Formats: sequence, C-alpha cells, structure tokens
Amino acid sequence: MTSKRQVAMVIDLNKCIGCQTCTIACKTQWTNREGMEGMWWNTVATAPGEGTPKGWEKMGGGFRKGKAQPGKLPKQGEFGTAWNFNTDAALFQGDTHNTLGPITGDPDWGTNWDEDVGGGEYPNSFQFYIPRICNHCTKPACMEACPRGAIFKREEDGIVVINEDHCRGFRFCQEACPYKEIYYNTVSGVSQKCIMCAPRLEEGVPTACSRQCPGRVRFLGFLDDEDGPIHKLVYQYKVALALHPEYETEPNVFYIPPLAPPSFDDEGNPIDEDRIPLDYLESLFGKEVGPAVELLKAEKAKKKAGSDSDLMDTLIARNWMDMFGPFTTNPKDVARTLEQRVQNRQG
Amino acid sequence: MRVQNVRSIADYAEPQSPGWGTVGSTDVEMVPAPLGLQPNEYVQVSWEERPYGLLEQASLRAVHDGAKIAVHLSWADAQPSTGAGEGFPDGAALAFPVRGEPELMLMGSPDAPMQFVQWQASKKEARSVLAKGIGSSRPGEPVDETAKASWSGGLWTVVFTRSLAGSGESASLVPGSTSQIGIAVWNGSNEERAGIKAVSPDWTALSLDP
Repeated sequence: MTSKRQVAMVIDLNKCIGCQTCTIACKTQWTNREGMEGMWWNTVATAPGEGTPKGWEKMGGGFRKGKAQPGKLPKQGEFGTAWNFNTDAALFQGDTHNTLGPITGDPDWGTNWDEDVGGGEYPNSFQFYIPRICNHCTKPACMEACPRGAIFKREEDGIVVINEDHCRGFRFCQEACPYKEIYYNTVSGVSQKCIMCAPRLEEGVPTACSRQCPGRVRFLGFLDDEDGPIHKLVYQYKVALALHPEYETEPNVFYIPPLAPPSFDDEGNPIDEDRIPLDYLESLFGKEVGPAVELLKAEKAKKKAGSDSDLMDTLIARNWMDMFGPFTTNPKDVARTLEQRVQNRQG
Repeated sequence: MRVQNVRSIADYAEPQSPGWGTVGSTDVEMVPAPLGLQPNEYVQVSWEERPYGLLEQASLRAVHDGAKIAVHLSWADAQPSTGAGEGFPDGAALAFPVRGEPELMLMGSPDAPMQFVQWQASKKEARSVLAKGIGSSRPGEPVDETAKASWSGGLWTVVFTRSLAGSGESASLVPGSTSQIGIAVWNGSNEERAGIKAVSPDWTALSLDP
C-alpha cells in the first residue's frame, strides 16, 4: 500500500549538542514498561563511532539493486542492556568513597558508548552527534521481511508500525532493517520500535524528541508540504540528506550534514581543508553531501557578511513553532481535552 | 498409521506414560521446508546459504479414546533450546486438514484450510492455529489442545492431545475413519522459526479404530 502522505523529520547535525534530552523524552514516554528497559527508540551517538547497536553499519540488511540483502540479528548486548546503579549507597549513605556506578555486571556497551572518542588526529580531531530514530522508510525492509504481515505503513502519514497482536517475535525485521532500529522485547515476545509518536501526531502534537529538543534541532512535517521547512530543506535547497541511502529503503528522516572548523597545518595555522573528511561524510550520506556542505558554507558566509539567507534563517529557527509544520498543538492542551473526554465518558 | 482406541487417553498424557510402550511407532520422513516456498525474498536470501530443517525423521504414535486423541511425537535434537531471553525456542506442530485436500507444503489454501496444534519450548500452553496458505496462519478455534514435552538423551518427546471433534474451521477426526496428519519441527538453536523448519513432505494417513 502506498501512503497518501508522509511524515518526515529533518535533523540539523550542526545544532545537536548531544544532551540526550530527546533520548530521555522518548524513554519516559514510550519505553518505560516491562521488557523495554534496554530499549532506546531514540539514540544520540557520537560519530565517527560504532553506534547502537555496536557496529550496526556493518550488519547488512536493506536492498541492493532492489534485491533484499541478508542482515545480522543484533544481540541485546550489542545495543547495551539496562544497568542498575548503586544510587542509594553512593548518594544517600554519606560514604564519600562509594562512587556512583552500575551494580549489575560489568557493562561493555551502551548507547553513545563512543562519547568523546571521535575521529582525526590532534589538532585536527573531530566529532559530531548523530541522533537516530526509525526512519519510517518509504520502502521499509522490515515490512517486506515480516512473514506474518505484522508490519504496515499507515496510509494517512506513512508511519511504519508493528501490529503486536500479529507479531510472533521471529525478528526477521530486526535483521532486515539496515539501520537496526528494531528491538525485541523478551518479556512480551514481540518486536518493538519508534512509532513516530503517532498518538501525539494524531492530536497535532509534535514528537516528543522534536518538541523537547533544547537545541531546536528537529524539524517535523509532511514531506509534500511546500510551505513547510521539510520540503524546503529536502527538495528546494537539497541540504537535508538521508543516512546511508545506499540501502535503498528511502528513509524519511533527513540530516543537515555537519560543518566543522578548518584544519590546522603543522605550524598551527588554519588551512583550507575540511576538518571532517568529505569521504567520511559521503560514507554516511552519499555523494550529494559535497554540494550540500558547499551550499551550507556559502549561505553561512553570506549571513555572516550581513546579507539575507533564507536557508540560514530556516535552519536557525527563530520561531520555534515554525519547525513543526501542522504539529503545533501544546501537549498540555491535549492532556486537558483527554481528561475532559474521559470525564464526559464517565458521565 | 493405526490409531488404537484405548480406555482413556489420560493414561497416555505424558511423554513417559507407560501406556506408550505398547503402541507401535511410525517413522515419518522429514525434509527442509523448501526455500522457494518461503513467504518473502528476505527470508529466502537470508537462508539460501544457511542449512536448516536437517532433521531426517520423526517418530509418531497415536491413540484415541473416542473423545480425544493423543499423539506422541519424538525427534532427535542434540541441543535443546527453550528460547529463554533472546533465544529462539524449539517447537513442533501437528497439522490436520479442515476440509478439502490442503497441500501440506503450501499450508493449505482459502478453500482447503488446515489447522494445527503447535508446541513451543518457551510456552506452557499448546496453541491451535488455522492456516489458509503460507504466511496466513492465525489463531485457530480451540480443540482442547495440550502439549507436554520432555527432552532426554538427545531426544525431544512431545505428547499432544486434542479433542477428536472439531467445529467450523477446526479439523474433525472420526473414529472408524481415516484422517491425515502432517508434522513440522523447529530447531531453535539454529534460529529456526516461521517457515524455516523441517516438515513432513506429505500427509501421513491416520486410521482411527472404531
């Protein structure tokens, strides 16, 4: 089934500070139930790095020339399991020598485990953050891999969801998703993933990760809304690019590629060489990233010189609500109407 | 295969029930469910170079008491998998035709459905499932199904019981007549699940004593 419309997101990597507010907004909203302890439907990892699950970019899946590609089944340890902390002993018992740390096993991986690693050699080291959610692909490899037909793409907004009543926990979807954005719940025996905050969007409220972002990093809206920022950034300026387009799933989460300060030569003088190697960016976003970076640099220079730049103004997002297309409702107002609805029903 | 009429299948409810000692067994050939019949391209490409369904035979015995049938199924499995945590469970299913002449390999069709009783090492209860073709299986009508399993010495033994009578979309077995049975076995430690399994390539006749 082809969706009539597609909800999409643009994530500006130049503004993400890796604060993980989106991660926690998602966690407290959606993955705080039993069996979901180790799930992070939203992650923010450090690039370059192994990411979550560890080494996901080498796990296969997706399509090549239209043909499904085998993928590896990620293990829970590769995502990182949930840890319990000695909070009481470390913080409330007055023992200043007892430091805060995990008390369940000796964890060796977790989301953003690569923090502070990065790439390059000093003084030309570099790193940036890369937030990820389910890409709600136009051609979802997970959906095509499910022998149960338990995964579908919503006609009204293109959100990809798993019907847990039909899912039998076979996990072909986990293997086939090249972004490894699907988790397995060992308690309920079903696969689970980001639902693009569908119940919020239905009420006109932006996704939790978008609305809670203190950096105004995430744009949200319909891909075909010519008046919205998504259409402008993806189609008009072509500066918002899909992550790993080579998997041919046609993601609907797009990224503004990161700029970085210039490199330094041996004498410590800035030189006209990108700090983040173009070939690394191309390995993430494909060949279109070169022209996108050039346009971003040119528009940034224009703005810096005092001229107008519609592209920079869009990315700066002075008017917060302009970022969310039709999804501008305050969740507080919806909570109130939901309360009223429940009261009305109870008569 | 003959299905003896016994006094009560309660005497045959466990894999180790002594009654089974005097019931003759039938060996059923098992083959990998064909790759070409897997429901989508992903499952096909991800298993085209991985061996699965290597079980060569399963052993079948059955008795009925006029109300219920008990089927004793055993097969070799060196490494049992209960499917704990993120593992995949071992499993087995017995298929019965609901009406028409369903193709076992094709999991039946809309006109000729089949019903099966499924056991998984990860679950306490057996399940009744209705299939009308590959990838179509949905919960089936209850037939008072049970499954009790034990693993010992490299051998799984599962005793399935179910009512002989079925209604609507569940298969009926009638004393004094011949019905059919098919088998599927999943090896969890080899990550076998869904259509990745060993199957009996054709139905085995069940001749129920009057």
